[in-house]
Amino acid sequence: MVDATLRRARGRIAWSQLVLGAAGFAAFVAAWWLLVHFAVWRFSKLPDPFSVLREWTSRKPEYGISLFAPTYYQDIWASTVRVTIAFLLATALGVPLGILLGWNRIAREFLFPLIELIRPIPPLAWVPLAILMLSGQQEAMIFLTWIAAFFATVLNTMLGVTSIDESYLRAAYCLGSRRWDVLWNVVVPGSLPFIFTGLQIGMGVAWFSLVAGEMIAGEAGLGYLILNSYMELQTTTIVIGMVTLGLVGFLSSALVRWTGRRLMTWQSH
Amino acid sequence: MNVEAAPSPAGLRARNRTRPVPGREVASAAALRGSAGIATFLALWQLGVVLHLPLLAKIPTPADVAAAWLSLLRDPRYYLDWLVSFRRVFGGFVIAQALGIPLGLLMGWKAAFRSLTFPVFEVLRPIPPLAWVPLSILFWPTPESSITFVIFLGAFFTVLINTLAGVRAIDERYVRAAISLGATPAIVFRRIILPGALPSIFTGMAVGMGITWSVLVAAEIIAGRSGLGYLTWEAYVAGSFPTIVVGMISIGLAGYLSSALVRIVAARAMPWSKRF
Repeated sequence: MVDATLRRARGRIAWSQLVLGAAGFAAFVAAWWLLVHFAVWRFSKLPDPFSVLREWTSRKPEYGISLFAPTYYQDIWASTVRVTIAFLLATALGVPLGILLGWNRIAREFLFPLIELIRPIPPLAWVPLAILMLSGQQEAMIFLTWIAAFFATVLNTMLGVTSIDESYLRAAYCLGSRRWDVLWNVVVPGSLPFIFTGLQIGMGVAWFSLVAGEMIAGEAGLGYLILNSYMELQTTTIVIGMVTLGLVGFLSSALVRWTGRRLMTWQSH
Repeated sequence: MNVEAAPSPAGLRARNRTRPVPGREVASAAALRGSAGIATFLALWQLGVVLHLPLLAKIPTPADVAAAWLSLLRDPRYYLDWLVSFRRVFGGFVIAQALGIPLGLLMGWKAAFRSLTFPVFEVLRPIPPLAWVPLSILFWPTPESSITFVIFLGAFFTVLINTLAGVRAIDERYVRAAISLGATPAIVFRRIILPGALPSIFTGMAVGMGITWSVLVAAEIIAGRSGLGYLTWEAYVAGSFPTIVVGMISIGLAGYLSSALVRIVAARAMPWSKRF
């Protein structure tokens, strides 16, 4: 529902909307600059928008991170690799498990209470245990990211299967489908919209917990970049890291959305 | 209200959902299977640790965890950690609602205001709340206020977007019907916009509550000196591994209780709704 609204909000972009949007954004940047420039309250501790922009686009950045610095891309690459591995693992394990839980009542009754017991533990509370269980920091960070995306994927897939209209299943059986055919031709496509909702939420929380993991246990990546710049009081680099995270997170969600639309061509959007 | 005379919506729902006689048996079989699943998990965990299976070599056994929890229950500091974490979460959460709901309502209701503010929020929203931690520590005068700010951010965007979506999903015809019957904007707002958006607002609150606990843990690890997240991290640093798991379970429990609280409030605020 949220998604549909956002899409509708994006779909009908009129000129007045564009102008107002630009004005709102300009007002935001101006307010930011003014607050920092005139050192209102504690805003003097933050960098102003133009010095961030200058640093970001500088060929010789003061603190070593800009669009022209290879280390910048190394950090982006490190984070992206972690999220990709964790997300693929979460999809490969979560979707089949979710379908099993939705499709088979006995399996659901055995496993669902256990999942509901573990699920309220926030992914980030797993940090110490992840470090203990897995030998390397890289594995620990991927585990944290994975566990965040995994539960979102399992639950939404299960919800998708249970939301399929019972009469579709009965119709397929009446026409002589075997269980396997029903699973492949009715259950899987029927739950695809929910699966992709789950994957999108999963992608969001994956970035979310990766940042925390990198801050606590990392040695490279955007979360580490942000915390490290904080330690060295390079505030412009902190903001560059934040903006980059927002950008990469947005792009990866867009990729999931795009894949979903490709796979579900029958849906009207 | 006399509970016995007037059946509550919850009671009605429960009666509708229970199928004839076999329903009971199925329910108890389900409970049995659920317990069996959990028991199997605990047994595998214990066995895995005792046999030193690869991933579980350093993990405490369920028995160790239970013992650690029992001893922690006698420690007053444990309850203080609960209190501190709850105060932080609710502080940030309440501020997020107080700002996010009115802003979302206004953005949903007034198209010009939406066009003006939506792009800014859309740019800020994809930045994970924890990426704000360093700036927040620099900006806010006390560690406490910076933790509250990050928790606030975790819940704010969720409730804002959900409120906005809730208002936008209201059938335009309701508004037109009310206006043609002579309703003033104030009445349209109070009788249509607000109740129409409530289900979506509460969805946002429930999701936001889940996020706040997750944010809290990380914020306490990075910047805190107390609280359940810090308890867990301190146990790791000190090498008392069973306490780590106790901390995790406590955080899970606290998160579950706060989500249940949101659900109860939602059911109270929307007696007509069957979604909760």
